[in-house]
Amino acid sequence: MPTLALPPAVEPAILPGFDENVLDAALKGEPALLQAKRTAAYEAYTTIQNPEAFHEEYRRMDPRKFKFGSFTRLDIPHQTIAYNAQPVDGHYDVVISVTPEGIAIEDRGDVTASGKVRVQTLQQAALDYTTEVEQALGTAIESEEPRKFFELNSAFWNVGFHIHVAKNATLERGILLRYHNDREGSALLPRLLVTAESGAAFALAEQFTSPDGVATLCISAREFHLAPNADVKLVSLQDWGSAGIHIGEDWARIKRDAKVDLFSMTLGGKVSKMTVGCDVCEPNANAYLGGLFFANGKQHFDQKTLQFHSAPNTYSNMLYKGAVKDTGYSVYQGIIRALKNCVGVDSYQTNNNLVLDPGARADSLPGLIIDADELACSHGATMGNLDPEQMYYLRSRGIPESEARRMLVLGFFEEVIERVPFETMRDRLHEVIEQKLNPVTEK
Amino acid sequence: MADLEIKNLHAQIGDVKILKGVNLEINKGEVHALMGPNGSGKSTLSSVIMGHPDYEVTEGDILFMGESILEMDPEERAKAGVFLCFQYPVAVPGVSISSFLKKAVDARHPEGKAPSGPFLKEMRENMAFLEMDASFANRGLNEGFSGGEKKRMEILQMMMFKPGMVIMDETDSGLDIDALRIVSKGVNKMKNDDMGLLVITHYERILTYIKPDHLHILMEGRVVMSGGPDLVKELEEKGYDWVREQAAATA
Repeated sequence: MPTLALPPAVEPAILPGFDENVLDAALKGEPALLQAKRTAAYEAYTTIQNPEAFHEEYRRMDPRKFKFGSFTRLDIPHQTIAYNAQPVDGHYDVVISVTPEGIAIEDRGDVTASGKVRVQTLQQAALDYTTEVEQALGTAIESEEPRKFFELNSAFWNVGFHIHVAKNATLERGILLRYHNDREGSALLPRLLVTAESGAAFALAEQFTSPDGVATLCISAREFHLAPNADVKLVSLQDWGSAGIHIGEDWARIKRDAKVDLFSMTLGGKVSKMTVGCDVCEPNANAYLGGLFFANGKQHFDQKTLQFHSAPNTYSNMLYKGAVKDTGYSVYQGIIRALKNCVGVDSYQTNNNLVLDPGARADSLPGLIIDADELACSHGATMGNLDPEQMYYLRSRGIPESEARRMLVLGFFEEVIERVPFETMRDRLHEVIEQKLNPVTEK
Repeated sequence: MADLEIKNLHAQIGDVKILKGVNLEINKGEVHALMGPNGSGKSTLSSVIMGHPDYEVTEGDILFMGESILEMDPEERAKAGVFLCFQYPVAVPGVSISSFLKKAVDARHPEGKAPSGPFLKEMRENMAFLEMDASFANRGLNEGFSGGEKKRMEILQMMMFKPGMVIMDETDSGLDIDALRIVSKGVNKMKNDDMGLLVITHYERILTYIKPDHLHILMEGRVVMSGGPDLVKELEEKGYDWVREQAAATA
């Protein structure tokens, strides 16, 4: 079975900064369930080879760029920090804030009082809802596809939340998670576990920020378990400052009649490697993977999608749109995987790229691995600069060249942005894209 | 001196010479029609007037209001008052009609930004006049539009920008009779002493809706015959072969 996964290791494969001593620190004071989960994940992590530039998945993203060894795992205290309200907070029911000093969970819409919605640290959830966490945590990942960084996060995560939405419960305004790391040389390893009971419907927004020039590493893992007929949306915005390094793994398991929308937006930091996988594992399950990336300056972004169809009559649709400018470099790699006997699968994979400067580069490698008959799978990729006829048309209407470029780039991304369910996130996306097109020449 | 003066214009795309000495004079308040067989250079002429980057002018000049526009970018020509109704307007997905029109109107405004209230009012009124549904304003520019919708969109822009010189490049091609009526209605509403009009067409049909004061016939990159409205009828009866014979006789 050809996948892009790293091969098994003969000797324990340990990355600098994430060894047994660090694991001991992570285990300290944890509930027994989490200790067991972390220890098992550590075992799995050491049995997968460390990424090297000769591995297929890393040929276009030299893992030395992650600078393992120069970052120390943050020990985020189990303390509540003062809640620092932001102007956009009123748009959300719950706001979760994380800094190196601690966390704050602010239930602005009073939605957790009824118990229909639970927002807890993973430690608290492991104590209060042990069976549920035991069944869900670390199990969304596809067993065919061992993932080094998913297991690394599972062993070493230093801040974790469990969001649970009960049967048929809905959230009007959704949940915002914001991570801010201003500590030079530190590693943040956020973990998110989302469980949606049948008929639950809600949306999550997530944002990562840091000051420009402050070197930080983030290795994030999120997993989503959707019971039948659930409807969950995630919009994640990687908005790190100029010296951020980001590695992320998302996994979603979608059951009968349920629907997930996973938006992965990569705009910040200097190096980013993002993997989004979904398994539509029961009939009439549906996944939409939306992606947006824009690499300018020397940014290097790599994104990968995995659309698993492990049941007949399942649906997935993927649209990743990227732009590169200056000497920015982006890689998109994707696989649609339909298992044997999965008839009636409908799956699409589209990656469109704008290459705005001759020194910029975008690679696109879509792919299908199909073991079933009677299905409809297609993939397509486009690559090119702005269409000269569109430019001419706008300019012939009196619109100056720079403004016409801005309109066309924003228009290119709009197909993804217009589906984002949060106005504050759409605004931020527009803002960052505009900054990248017309950078302020200070700093 | 005429408001739009095309003098001995030679233009080519790549190595292919298309315009070989076009002369044409149009004043504001006048309606000129330009006809000619396929490949005579009609669409090239409109592209060269607007400043399409693929065409190179090798000789001659285009003056608008006494000033050469050849060195101007397309956006400068547009702001000077030249407007081209495209034969094949491109789709621009993700850019809504209202935001596009606003940017284009802003670009013409002395302060760089037109007040939103009056702009929206005018846009809605013009859309209603052109029998366009108000919901069109939120759609992507020309995205998924039918031929008739695209041409109405062109006329809507003309009405919003109020240009001094309009070139209509085969606006009638591919239009059914209803769409042609609506397009003509828009043009006739706009016709006034402050606007000149050059209607480039294959067919006489549109000229029964938009009546020209002058007709010119373009052949092999040159205007070979000019005349009054009667020439339309004569051309219809006798065909381009007759024009060719006349041109050969006078050459």
